[in-house]
Amino acid sequence: MKKIVTLVLALAMLLCMAGVGAVAEAPITLRVWGAEEDQTYLAERIEAFKAAYPDYNFEIQLGVESESTAKDTILTDVQAAADVYAFASDQLPDLVKAGAIMDLTTLEPVLTQMTGKTLEDIKAANVAGAISAASYEDKLYAFPFASDGFFMFYDPDYISAEQAQSWDTLLDAADAAGMKVGMTLASGWYNACFFYGAGFSTVLNADGTTTIDWNGTSPDGISGVQVVKAMQAIAGHPAFMAVADGDISNQISGGKLAAVISGTWDTDLVAKVFGDDYMATKLPSMNIDGTVVPTRGVVSFKCIGVNGMSPMAPWGVVLADFLTNEESQVARFEARSIPPTNVAAAASEAVQSNKGVVGLTEAAEIGIVQTVGGKYWDPCASFGEQIAQGTIGSDDAAIQTALDQLVEGVNSPLS
Amino acid sequence: MTAIKNGVAGFFAALGSFFGSFFNAIARGDAFVKLSLIIWGAGYFKRKQYVKALLMTLLEVGVILFSVFFAMQYVPKFGTLGTVQMEQVLNMQTMQMEFNDFDNSFLILLFSLFSFVVWAVAIVVWMRNVVNAYALQQAAEAGEHINSFKEDLRTFIGEKFHVTLLSLPVLGIVVFTVVPILLLIFVAFTNYDQQHMPPNALFTWVGLNNFKSLFSSGGMTVTFGYAFVRVLGWTLVWSFFATLTTYFGGILMSLLLNSKKTRVPKLWRLLLVITIAVPQFVSLLLVRNFFSNGGIVNTICANIGLTGFLRDVGLISTSYIPFLTAPGWAHVMIILINIWIGVPYQMLIATGVLMNLPTDQLESARVDGANKFQTFRYITMPYLLQVTAPTLVTDFVKNINNFNVIYLLTDGVYTTTNQLMANSQAKEVDLLVTWLFNLTQNYYNYKMAAVIGIMVFIVCAVFTLIAFNFVIGGDKEGTYQ
Repeated sequence: MKKIVTLVLALAMLLCMAGVGAVAEAPITLRVWGAEEDQTYLAERIEAFKAAYPDYNFEIQLGVESESTAKDTILTDVQAAADVYAFASDQLPDLVKAGAIMDLTTLEPVLTQMTGKTLEDIKAANVAGAISAASYEDKLYAFPFASDGFFMFYDPDYISAEQAQSWDTLLDAADAAGMKVGMTLASGWYNACFFYGAGFSTVLNADGTTTIDWNGTSPDGISGVQVVKAMQAIAGHPAFMAVADGDISNQISGGKLAAVISGTWDTDLVAKVFGDDYMATKLPSMNIDGTVVPTRGVVSFKCIGVNGMSPMAPWGVVLADFLTNEESQVARFEARSIPPTNVAAAASEAVQSNKGVVGLTEAAEIGIVQTVGGKYWDPCASFGEQIAQGTIGSDDAAIQTALDQLVEGVNSPLS
Repeated sequence: MTAIKNGVAGFFAALGSFFGSFFNAIARGDAFVKLSLIIWGAGYFKRKQYVKALLMTLLEVGVILFSVFFAMQYVPKFGTLGTVQMEQVLNMQTMQMEFNDFDNSFLILLFSLFSFVVWAVAIVVWMRNVVNAYALQQAAEAGEHINSFKEDLRTFIGEKFHVTLLSLPVLGIVVFTVVPILLLIFVAFTNYDQQHMPPNALFTWVGLNNFKSLFSSGGMTVTFGYAFVRVLGWTLVWSFFATLTTYFGGILMSLLLNSKKTRVPKLWRLLLVITIAVPQFVSLLLVRNFFSNGGIVNTICANIGLTGFLRDVGLISTSYIPFLTAPGWAHVMIILINIWIGVPYQMLIATGVLMNLPTDQLESARVDGANKFQTFRYITMPYLLQVTAPTLVTDFVKNINNFNVIYLLTDGVYTTTNQLMANSQAKEVDLLVTWLFNLTQNYYNYKMAAVIGIMVFIVCAVFTLIAFNFVIGGDKEGTYQ
């Protein structure tokens, strides 16, 4: 009996020692999620990161998670999600509320110690819009690395630069050529551009609800009813094609479009269908009762954030900064033609001569960073669909009722 | 109804006799039987069943250890579902974040429920144990043979073989079905939603509030009630037509294939069965693209002038036929597409049943001069109905929860133009399950999803009970003969 006890004790001691040894030698393990198309690029940058910190033993795993669906996957189980992940900036409020993203101010000392940079340096290095999109309630939560948003591509064979300036001339020109102008109306991402243009806004409240006032009159003195009438005039034009959300690329391939509202993700496709002489520009302006009103598209940004429940968050911040610094953004543009947010990287000639980037930049100059959440999406999608199908009717009272219902749905509390 | 009454009465009778034998054992048992209340192995020990005594006592120790070291972490917090919010501090030395010992409401709920289930099982074991100990005492007093451990084990492949067979499935059902269902029911009474997502935030009990917000509706206010009634209505309409069309479609198809005049029936059957072999998400997504607003069917319809004709008669107002994008159209299309998906299954079932059709009756009908339709109407159909009625009922319930067809055909394609539906995140073509999926997947509204889940369960349970009583209650076999 004694022998067995001794043996067990000896074994236990050995195990303990082995354990202690392992802890001292333990590598710094980090998991990174990025888009499928970015995997090769990210793998290269991660190797560069390891090379930049040769004194540490890293074990970095790279996983696939699209920026557009990052939030859904992460919020399913925050503790099981990656330490460092890429996401689209419109998901930021939900991520913050779920505690799934690190407030960078807490980790600023780490950033300064490891890289010599402060948060102010990060803010100064990137365009202002990107920083505000990566911030929530004036606190910076993520490192932006790419601009995103929609603008207009058009085919100069059918439409002149002049005609592309306003919806009326654009649609008439397309109609004359027997072509269509495609846009998604059944999505709160796209259809808000008409209201933003008229001076309306969307506000995300602290309790997670969204507030819109589209049934009233905007600070610019334009009423919601007037905006809807302008939208109806556009949607009712024979050359306008309302495209289902997510079906734009399909319709571009269809070859019936002379102009389309889309983003940099369709640049290659547009170049193929419209020809290499394709053009990209900001959204055409609306005509509201004789006044020319710009259509302000939504600008969003792709960012890299650090998991708010990751014990490894401090190293995560260092890595996230590395993956979004000027060098990384230049490399990313070379690999993927994605417009960078880093001011120095964006100033390069290669970036400036990319037509998709030019269109996005033009749209972004008057664009709006959309901060919405809660119950914004479904009511807005339905509203856009109603305009696309022309079910609302054209008298003011009917439009007002429809707007009231929309606002009621969006503004309602999270039950 | 009598079957239900008998079932309920039988359940309570069994419960009564179980408690009766337990108290009887305590009252009449000797000291060791009474000691079994505290030390589970005592009764077996007295009858020299040492291994069994040891095992039972170890089980008891296990339950106690489980209670002290596991359950006690969670169950005491069950009343509040946790009070300590998560906090973290940066440790610059280790370059790691350090977390406080925070409460996770979800884990508290889950593991408390698990503990309750374990304790419930433990109590039943504890009571059975005393009853067994008393039975042993009686056997010993009567001078009967008392099993050794080996003999006891042998009974598990002998007279207690059912226990051996059933224990694993029952354990599986408890862990993977009972506990999750209990969890779902309990979540319906909490405020578990996007604002209260563990582990970052805590959620707590809110009583019947969620049920109130489901059933309160009126005027312009955004409530679930408005959407719930409509979604429930379509769910029932869909289930009715989906079940009926595929059922009769399958029977007609199998009659056609079994007919002597059909050439190469095996080829036709194979072609139909291929739709089963292809995964639904592949075939349904393809069909969805065929019928999309810019899809191939719409192109054909436009080319042959059907679209123009429909617009002229005022059936549509768009430049395409909204097969899957307008209410009414989409409802009918979904049911039609489902026929194509569902008929092959019913055809296989009906073929099997038809092969067993008693030929003597068909013969005598032929001799009596019945024509084909009369044979079908008075012999084939009643026989089929009687044999397949239970599957008809289960099919209906299955269709209530038919997620695949609805979701794959309409998700991302169908946008409602009813603002009030949209305000509750619902669509006209949503079934209760797809609505529930949207609420949990896109809005993290777990509490309302749980409430709807309970409603789905109630609808299914009530229908099944009534339908099964109606269909297979009584002696239908006799009436047919």
